[in-house]
This record gives sequence, structure tokens and C-alpha cells, in this order.
Amino acid sequence: MRAALTFAMVTIVVLAQTTVVNRLPFDWVAGPDLVVAAVVVVALTTGPAAAAGCGFAAGLALDALPPAEHTLGTHALLMCAAGYVVSLLYRNTGAPGGLDSRVSAWTALGVTAVTALGMGLSFAAIGLLTGDPGVDLTDAAVTVALGTLATVIASPLVVLPILWTRNAFAEIDFATVQGPMTPRGW
Amino acid sequence: MFRDSSRSRLTLLALVAAAVVLLVLDGRAGTDPVTGTARAGAELAFAPIADGVSRVTGPVATAYEGVRQGPGAAERIAELEEANAGLESELRSAELDEGRAEQLEDLLHLSGLGGYEIVPAQAITHVTSQGYEHTATLDAGTGSGVEKDMTVVNGRGLVGKVVQAGARTSTVQLATDHSSSVGARLEGSGKIGVVGGARVPGAPEADLTYELFDMEAQIEPGDRIVTLGSHEGAPFVPGVPIGTVEEVHVSPGALSRVAAIEPAVDHASLDAVGVVVGGPDDDPRDSLLPPEPDPEGDR
Repeated sequence: MRAALTFAMVTIVVLAQTTVVNRLPFDWVAGPDLVVAAVVVVALTTGPAAAAGCGFAAGLALDALPPAEHTLGTHALLMCAAGYVVSLLYRNTGAPGGLDSRVSAWTALGVTAVTALGMGLSFAAIGLLTGDPGVDLTDAAVTVALGTLATVIASPLVVLPILWTRNAFAEIDFATVQGPMTPRGW
Repeated sequence: MFRDSSRSRLTLLALVAAAVVLLVLDGRAGTDPVTGTARAGAELAFAPIADGVSRVTGPVATAYEGVRQGPGAAERIAELEEANAGLESELRSAELDEGRAEQLEDLLHLSGLGGYEIVPAQAITHVTSQGYEHTATLDAGTGSGVEKDMTVVNGRGLVGKVVQAGARTSTVQLATDHSSSVGARLEGSGKIGVVGGARVPGAPEADLTYELFDMEAQIEPGDRIVTLGSHEGAPFVPGVPIGTVEEVHVSPGALSRVAAIEPAVDHASLDAVGVVVGGPDDDPRDSLLPPEPDPEGDR
């Protein structure tokens, strides 16, 4: 139930990103990246492997859906790595004790901001390293800054519903589970 | 410190490997069956949803415009009164405009344009999430006869070229994209050059720059530029207005002259565009040349 709901919500976020956010009639250099926010929330509430899988799938969808024109696989690779790293770091450092600790909304929003910045930087770095003529240092700095800002502003729209869903259904599914197990996973 | 099960690491490894394989496959020249199928599949899912969003957001966008313009209504009345006075005087200069229209027509005929078949389409996305590509998605695809490497125009001039065509949508690389380059020539003299979206070193800041190969050529602000045209009309058909020269930049020792171009099309607010799907029966290549060959013979 939880996995199916999460899958549906991430799918909706990916489609919303490509069909709604990308058509907003503003002349910005970079728009908000809602998919990063969705992947971060999933990564915070699941294990590294599942987070990497979720990131890969969402990134691949972003790569394939129009109007993406970059090399297929770029987003998939970066999102997969982002999901894995966020989940691994949070599991090993962030959650005190790891028992029954709910991910707070502020944590999720903060991690989203950091991850969005990281994604922007990695995207720009890939562009610079592969000699993409569209990327130069000043442009990239502005794009990364504005993109991160836009993502931070828009991310509560995505983070809060998904986080709520994942926390709420974890409670119902695992309410009867006793013992030192953390009710995480898909 | 960062403990993780080996199975989880294996999963990550497999996913990263898959992503790298995709990167390599798609990075190679030509269309790859795997990535091509992935894009076609994604496009199948995208088209109906984008249609739906268009239908839903149409009224919302109209309402938003209405609300946004509400407070400015008083200003608008003053503005309209002023415009009315302006129009009255403009009426007198209508003859001038007629002359301009004739010039444009002549310009198009000179390039051998005419008899092109155009599929109308609407731009449904404008920005990409990372913001480095200048692309737009159109709501017309191979079902309407749109193919890769077709010219996209609107009522004012050149928009770009089709880089990907799916069944119901297609992706257009705008002329202002950094990797876009369009063969172009000056309206009057026919001097050829390249119009691109990339920043030319030492050139003024502009959405479009025009690099003229002939150092001796006369080029002045206000000169208009049209497409030169490619063989078989792909990717660019001849004679489509690109823009007006805004500023000419001469740098000592450079091999070409560079001019900043004011695009004929407002690329930030694309709406209705046309994809040129059919060229004239004859190869337009030679009809591009003006009747009188240039004595300098630098073409």
C-alpha cells in the first residue's frame, strides 16, 4: 500500500514537473526541480537500495520525457546517486538511534535544499567537463543558484504530502510490529 | 562508519552501470534503438497528459491575465486614448507600411520561398528544469507530418528546427540555443554568415549573434537577416527572416565580423508556430541567388 502510493505520487510529481512546471509562462533561466524533492523524501524514509532504485526510475523518466534534449541517462545517474547518498548518510548519521524516529518536515526540506544544490552543481560540472557549449562558469553559477532557490521555495508542495503519506502508512502497516526493528522499507 | 549491506551496494552498482550504458548508447551519433524506444514510449505517455493540462490551464491562464491587468485598467484607458491618436497619424503612413509589406514579399520571393506547406502547432513547454537548453515542445508530431530537421517558423520569422519528433509531440531547438547555428545572409547584399545562440568571444552580449565571413562587407544596424537555406530544405528552408542587426562589433585582427541580432521572433513567448513540412517541387538552391551575381564573387 505504502509502496504503491509512493510510486503513484512520484509518478505524478515527474509528470507535473514535465507538463506543468516546465510550461510556466515565466522567463526564468531555471525552474524548480520537484523531482529532486520527491526522491529526497523517499530516500529519507527508506533504505539506500530502494532510494537508488527510486532515483534511477524518476531520473530515467525525466531523461526520456520531452522536452529533454540532453544525453539519456544523465538524470538517471545523478538521481540514483543522490538517492543512495542521502539515504546512506541519513541512516548512518542523521537519525538518532534509528528507532521509531519520524523524519521531521524541516529535516526533509533542509536535505532537499542541500540535494538540489548538489544536483545543480553536478549537472553544471558534467556540462563543463563534457564541453557543453551552453554551460560556462558564470551562467552555471546563476543557474544553480536560481534553480536551487526555486526548488527550495516550491519543495514543500511535494515534500509535505509524500512525507505525510509515508509516515502515516508506516504507522498503520507496522503498528503491531514489536521489537527493535525500525519500520522502514517499501 | 557508513555501513551498508553488500546487497544494497550491488543494487547501486547495477543501477549505475545501467545509467552509464544508457549514457554511452545515447552519446553515440545516430539514433539508437534502445534510447529511441525509451523516448518514443515516454512521448506516448506525455502527449495525452500535456493535452489535458493544456485544456485545464487555458482558462486559468486567461483568468490570471484578467486579474493581473485589472488594477491597470485606468492606465490602460489613458494608454488607449494615446494609442488612438497614434493610430490616426499612423493611418496616414499606411502607404509606407504597404511599401514595407511589398519589400518583405520581394525578399521572400527573392529567396525562392513560396509553395511551402506549413503545419500549425502550439508551443506547450518553454523551459527545462536545468535551464541550459533552449528548447520548446510542440503539440504536433509525426502524425501531422512533422519530422526531424524541419524548419519551425511563426508569423514573424524563424523559431528553430525540429530535433526530435514523436507521434504527437515534437521538440524544437530554438535558434537562440547555444548549440544552434543557422546559415544566414544579409537582406540586401546577400553576404553569408552564421547566426548562432552561442556567445562569440569578444562579441557584444546578445541572444543571437551573426558572424559574417566577409570583413569588407557593409553591415549596419537595421539590416535584416534571412536564412540562407540548406540543401533539400533540411534543416532550414531559405528566406525566413531571422532578425535585425542591432550592433556591429569589429575587433582588430578577427577573421570575421560579428553583429548582435535582435531576433524577429520573441523566443520567450512562443505560442502559435508553423512547421514547414513540404518544400517546393524544385530544389530551391539556385533560386536563392539574386539575379545579378556579386562582382566580388565572394559567395
